[in-house]
Amino acid sequence: MTFATPLGLLALLAIPAIVAIHLFRRRFPVRPVAGLFLWQNPRQTPVEGRRVDRLPITTSLILECLAALALALIIAGARLSSAGGSGHFVVLLDDSASMAAANASGESARDRAVRRVLAEVERLGARARVTLVLSGERPTVLAGPSAFAVEARPALDGWTPQAANHSLALGLRMARELAGRDSRLMVASDMPPDARGAGDIAGALWVAVGEPLANAGIIAAERTLAPDEGQGTVSLTLASHSEAPAPRRVTVSAAGKDVLSRDLEVPPGISSLTLPLPPGLPPVRVALTDDALLRDNSVVLAEPRPRIVGVENRLREERGREALVRALDAVSGVTRAEPGHLVFVDAADLNGSPVPGTWPVAFGSAPKAWRGRGDATDFLGPFILEKRHPLLQGVSLGGVVWTGAAPLLPGAVHPLIAAGNQVLMGLRASGSRDEPAALFNLDLDRTNLIRSPDWPILISNLIEMRRSGLPGPERWNYRVGEWVRVRLGRDPQGPLRYRAGSVERTLAASRDLEFMAPAPGGLLEILEGEDMLFAIGVNFLDETETDLRGRATADAGELADPAVLRAGSGPAFDPLFWLLLAIGGTAIVANWWILSPRRRHA
Amino acid sequence: MPAPSIDWPAVRAAAAFRLAMPRTPAGGRIGERLGSGTGSSLEFQDYRAYAPGDDLRHVDWPAYARSGLLAVRLYREEVAPRIDLVLDVSRSMAVTDSKLRAYGEVAGLLACACASTVGDTRAITRSVLEPRRLHRPEEIEPVLECEAALSALEEPHLPCRRRSLRVVVSDFLFPHDADTLVSRLARDGASLAIVQLTLRDEAEPAVESGRRLVDVEGRGEIDLVIDEAAVRDYRARFNRLRLGLSRAARRTGARFAHVVAETPLREVARQLAAAGVLEAA
Repeated sequence: MTFATPLGLLALLAIPAIVAIHLFRRRFPVRPVAGLFLWQNPRQTPVEGRRVDRLPITTSLILECLAALALALIIAGARLSSAGGSGHFVVLLDDSASMAAANASGESARDRAVRRVLAEVERLGARARVTLVLSGERPTVLAGPSAFAVEARPALDGWTPQAANHSLALGLRMARELAGRDSRLMVASDMPPDARGAGDIAGALWVAVGEPLANAGIIAAERTLAPDEGQGTVSLTLASHSEAPAPRRVTVSAAGKDVLSRDLEVPPGISSLTLPLPPGLPPVRVALTDDALLRDNSVVLAEPRPRIVGVENRLREERGREALVRALDAVSGVTRAEPGHLVFVDAADLNGSPVPGTWPVAFGSAPKAWRGRGDATDFLGPFILEKRHPLLQGVSLGGVVWTGAAPLLPGAVHPLIAAGNQVLMGLRASGSRDEPAALFNLDLDRTNLIRSPDWPILISNLIEMRRSGLPGPERWNYRVGEWVRVRLGRDPQGPLRYRAGSVERTLAASRDLEFMAPAPGGLLEILEGEDMLFAIGVNFLDETETDLRGRATADAGELADPAVLRAGSGPAFDPLFWLLLAIGGTAIVANWWILSPRRRHA
Repeated sequence: MPAPSIDWPAVRAAAAFRLAMPRTPAGGRIGERLGSGTGSSLEFQDYRAYAPGDDLRHVDWPAYARSGLLAVRLYREEVAPRIDLVLDVSRSMAVTDSKLRAYGEVAGLLACACASTVGDTRAITRSVLEPRRLHRPEEIEPVLECEAALSALEEPHLPCRRRSLRVVVSDFLFPHDADTLVSRLARDGASLAIVQLTLRDEAEPAVESGRRLVDVEGRGEIDLVIDEAAVRDYRARFNRLRLGLSRAARRTGARFAHVVAETPLREVARQLAAAGVLEAA
């Protein structure tokens, strides 16, 4: 139940007033008697004065309280539906960062949208209800639902558009659901409906308050590290949406100190910029000088710490081993190590006890305990591949002769490559669930797989699969809204959370952390208790929002007619109104009948 | 104004009674009932010495023969008794239609009994009004206009006649001292019969919810929740009132009967006869 005018609930004070009246001056049904003195109790008038008697619960009292309650609820505008009355005004605010782009006089589309909304709220009056919805991939309610009109201004004052480019369709759907059929709906954006992917805006007023502006910004950024060269770099992709080259100064700072500063002219269109950076610097902030849109002028980049996969090659000195060495040399972030994260062994050695942290990759005939009856066979295809598995992404096995595949017992391995009923390659749990053993049921010395394009892909997939199992973030720099995946590599030893500026969230205690890079971005720290585990960069990098040339000022659609809304949403259309009216009216009539002079005379 | 419409055939059907006469002879004009003085009835009363002028027919000659003294025989007088029917015509007797109807029937029954007594019957309703002589029972009907704010019994002086048979009908639902009231009614009278007529609800009220009780005679009003405690207190007070009247009547030699309205009239007549107010004609 909602109340259109909650102040009307003050009418409920009538109930204690009625009770007080009944307590001190009761209105009982009249009964004529012959000997009143026989009813009078001398104790009713004690020497010390009148006492407060127990309140008699009479029919008249109940009816009067019931009538007062019903009338108070009617005055307060009690409604069954949550949607407000004709004064309910729902506004969908485009939260795209481009709404904050300011013109030469410092006025932004956001400022114009706020003025327009407040003017409309003021026109509706103080009794109007307002719901403010922020658009986005996940629309949110900024004020309301059905907030008082006075709540709109403080909510709008605190609104700073900062979302990446997105369609307003989701927000419009949410706004329509909140508005129902009896409210007015307005959308405030800096672009026409089609440009924002809003689709049908029937029944809504689309207010575009944008202004075409020249702007330059960073649309992509990467920080790399070449340990061998002892040099780091920052690579920026810049976009300038203006007719002429834009003079800018780019500044790189770390820990509050400027590391590098350079003047440049950003040519119209897309350009790139690479800046050298000494290795070992903490996260750096790269900033361009201010222009129309501030949001795309700076990025925070953390130095990547690549996860090196240690590889141990125990294969026999034959052509298969050589092919493996060649393939490993082509993959970056790999080093020879004993014990390695990944160990290539002969399949007969798989029965040995697993070493924690080591994933065995076996080639050749499986151990006897895994083998079924029959001899090893060669296969030309067709091959059945589990394409969804990361190990086989990009692998086709076209033209490959798969040699020496011995029959395996059912369930010995989880098949990833098969030819008919014969399992050619599969995974088997080794040690723990996270440390699988891969079995290639393959005579590596006779097959042509090692000469096919699939071989380096397969080895690369193996390395990357193992790399993803190493502790650390998947990447060190993200865009706002991207999924951040961090492998802890152990059980957490304290409460996990992340902190990015003023945004702080608790993370589920798990070995694998996964969350969405929060807006507005900046340096994001992953904390275990009070210890920082990782610091990564989260940046607003959106080419579409950087381009302010397509912004426009225009109105489309129209607000629903308040008179029509009133006709469909007035109190007469709420069943609760009629119910309360019936209860109140019946109570009043019944009370009048009980206390009527005619009945008193009877 | 409230006046009962009396069902006379029903009243007459139940009226096989007359007023019970007191042991003490009543006074009155010459009539059919023995009086307290000497008269010309056949009932011997006393002797006294002959005085010149006495009727020689009353000289007891055998006694003169035995004693040589002239003595005359005295006989009881025969009178028509004076009957004062004191009726309460206050509004309390018409508090409900049933009470007013019952009042009319009881009054009619007593009027018939008075007629059977062959007395000089007068109806007294107010001290300031001349008592109305009742030649026929039906003449009582216009008397019973219950619109007075006070009961006649509350007035200090009632125009009752000396040595009259007094029958008082009221609900006695007004504040009073029973001994004082009954003594006053019985003073100089030959006999006194008190008939208290109430509703059953006035004698034994039931539990109700809250009511505004308004006295029909303008003695005020109170708001009261008629719960069990209130009913219990009321019954105790009513019983004290009725018992007080009964005891006061017994002390003064009067007869007292309590009649509940809506009781069948024959039953009322039997109750009055059992209380000594009426006797078989």
